[in-house]
Amino acid sequence: MSSALHKAIALILSADAELLNILSVTARMSLQSSLIALLLGVPIGIWLGACRFPGRGALVVVNRTLMGMPPVVCGLLFYMLFSGVGPFRHMKLLFTVKIMVMAQVVLITPIVVGNMETYVAGIAPNLRETAKGLGLGGFKTFALLCNECLYPIISAYLLAFGRSIAEVGAVSMVGGAIAWKTNVMTTAIMQYTNRGNFSLGIALGMILLALSLMVNIVISGLQRRLSR
Amino acid sequence: MNIQAFSKTYDGVTVLSFPGMDLQPGKIYAVIGANGSGKSTFAKILAGVLPADRAGKLRDDAAVGYLPQKPYAFRMSTGQNLLLNGKDAARAAELMDALQIRHLEHKRADRLSGGETARMALARLMMKRYDVVILDEPTAAMDMETTAAAETLLLRYTRQTGCALILVTHSLQQARRVADEVLFFHKGRLMEFGAREQVLFAPTRPETRKFLEFYGK
Amino acid sequence: MKKRISLLLVAVMLLGLAACGAAKPAETQAPAPTAAPTEAPTEAPTEAALVVDTCILKEADDKMLNTYTLLAVNPDAPFTDADGNPVSDVAVNTAGADALIHWLLTREALDMAGDYGVAEYGEHLFYVKDDAPVYTGDIAPATEETKVIRLSTTTSVNDSGLLGYLLPVFESTYGYTVEVQSAGTGKAINAAKFGNADLILVHSKSQEEAFVEEGFARTVDGFESERISFIYNYFVLCGPSADPAGVKDCASVLDAFAAIADGKYTFVSRGDASGTHTKELSLWPESLGITKEAESFANYTDWYVSANAGMGACLVMAEEMGAYILTDKATFLTFVANDGVME
Repeated sequence: MSSALHKAIALILSADAELLNILSVTARMSLQSSLIALLLGVPIGIWLGACRFPGRGALVVVNRTLMGMPPVVCGLLFYMLFSGVGPFRHMKLLFTVKIMVMAQVVLITPIVVGNMETYVAGIAPNLRETAKGLGLGGFKTFALLCNECLYPIISAYLLAFGRSIAEVGAVSMVGGAIAWKTNVMTTAIMQYTNRGNFSLGIALGMILLALSLMVNIVISGLQRRLSR
Repeated sequence: MNIQAFSKTYDGVTVLSFPGMDLQPGKIYAVIGANGSGKSTFAKILAGVLPADRAGKLRDDAAVGYLPQKPYAFRMSTGQNLLLNGKDAARAAELMDALQIRHLEHKRADRLSGGETARMALARLMMKRYDVVILDEPTAAMDMETTAAAETLLLRYTRQTGCALILVTHSLQQARRVADEVLFFHKGRLMEFGAREQVLFAPTRPETRKFLEFYGK
Repeated sequence: MKKRISLLLVAVMLLGLAACGAAKPAETQAPAPTAAPTEAPTEAPTEAALVVDTCILKEADDKMLNTYTLLAVNPDAPFTDADGNPVSDVAVNTAGADALIHWLLTREALDMAGDYGVAEYGEHLFYVKDDAPVYTGDIAPATEETKVIRLSTTTSVNDSGLLGYLLPVFESTYGYTVEVQSAGTGKAINAAKFGNADLILVHSKSQEEAFVEEGFARTVDGFESERISFIYNYFVLCGPSADPAGVKDCASVLDAFAAIADGKYTFVSRGDASGTHTKELSLWPESLGITKEAESFANYTDWYVSANAGMGACLVMAEEMGAYILTDKATFLTFVANDGVME
């Protein structure tokens, strides 16, 4: 009985085909869902944070509610919609990586929106007063605002990626944890835990954290470089 | 140039009412008053960043420059911040020299100290010519030496560009040094308005006298 | 600054996990050398008990027969959506399901299933039923439309490695891809009712019969019944080697369960509507009135543990608590063979 750390290292060194498949599905899913969530969430977040319009407060509240949506509920919703008896059954998306990405986008986008909204709402009044005081036009003001958002966008991405790679409730529901197809790190950990193989679960968990660490190091390096 | 009469009400309480006035080009108008007297609200309404109850703005085609109390430093170098407001690099260099921030030209503006940010923001505003310039306590974060440099620049800028400069300040000394005309606000009302000598040295209203006695020491 | 803190946090967590991982085996290993010599002469348990104390106490009782059954999903079944409205055009890969069922019932596949695990565990994990139908006809190869087969099954056949042993042969010979979803029998059957499976492989007679009754199953060409039972093994009643309830000496498994309940000895129940859970429910004395409903065992919580977890997780729990547990033999043997962890 070797320690979980040894198991994790042995697992990586063995380059086990199933583990590699799990890693590649995990990477594909997390990168896709976090990037799509970023592309959707950043413009919405900036819009909600910077613009004042009737109904804005209600939208912010709705978004904050969605930020707290339990992943299992999101997964259940997608399961019901895309199930063999659900209204979207003809799309044949259940138990595919695509639907896992879709469910995660629904989970993660509000988090990106919320973060951007909070940041932009914090700087927008001051920034807008200053820009208006200089007599700058609307478009230039907006461009300047976007330029201010670079760091928060990077942190929002890290948050989105972290949530995506660590999330299990939704993806196990809509993905089905099918070997070689939709099994990701978190669902594999669940499976091992359910089978009582805790140490292999921890080994996978350590690999997951190590991956997360690497992504964080790369992006922090990028951030430092941008800030010079 | 003419400012029409206006008032500003929050939740049914009038926080500022202004009877209107004429502005002469090339003159500096100091706005004084205690905290909460309505100085900043006055500046914001003139600048158009805060709507008044009734239209009480400056003429629509007037070019208005406004420096808020906490100006924003954009995430780029100090020099680039200045060039946001005009293309003249020589002018930018001249302004940075005048305000002693030339050595910060390539430093990121969002990392400047409070006093440095205030000088950067003042220089940035002065990159352009405006009909009316409204400054909300531009020197509050500056030390004495840089305040003097800023005041010199203010006087020169006003005379050269022929703008009407409205300077909100909490410093009576500053008003004495640079103002042509002084507006005294008290509890949201314009109490006294006139030439510097008259308002600061021979006020007619008891509120003005009290304020001057208290802050003049 | 912030990112440094977050990096530090990740590093600390990683270290923490590594420490947990490193500490775990030490904990479990420590008692083994000291416990072994004292226990060995008195109880003389099986060799595996040097690490795993839980051992088989009652088996090979007729009541403990565990039969696995294949059911093909009927595309014209009375499917309903979440609101109970009928849904007619549910996509079911009947050709693929037929091919897999046909193949599983070839002599070749049946022999493979019967021999599975003998080399590794020295015991049969599964036996082929004497009356299992044997298929000798042709098996349709995969086409573009039929190549993906969705098999919903119970954890025991998947976790014991049987499917991982059988399916690659089928897939490489006929060009199909079998997508296996494993959950308890109850969940496996529900997945089929939601139109998310082409066939199911489960082990709970009463639930299978209800499934057929409701019209969700269909008869595959060449077979008589919707329910195709082909392999079996035994459920086994396991518990601590010391056997405080004395179930070893009970005449039957029903007596053994009565003894556990009488003495209020800790019992770990799957509690997840799986085949094993269904079987366990049928073995308690009727007077206790234990059913799958939580209220039915509300008064027994001092000894009856409803885990709502997979077989492996429940075995780990029983081992930790020194509890009795009902398990399929295949999963238990793999559990013991791996020193109390499931590979």
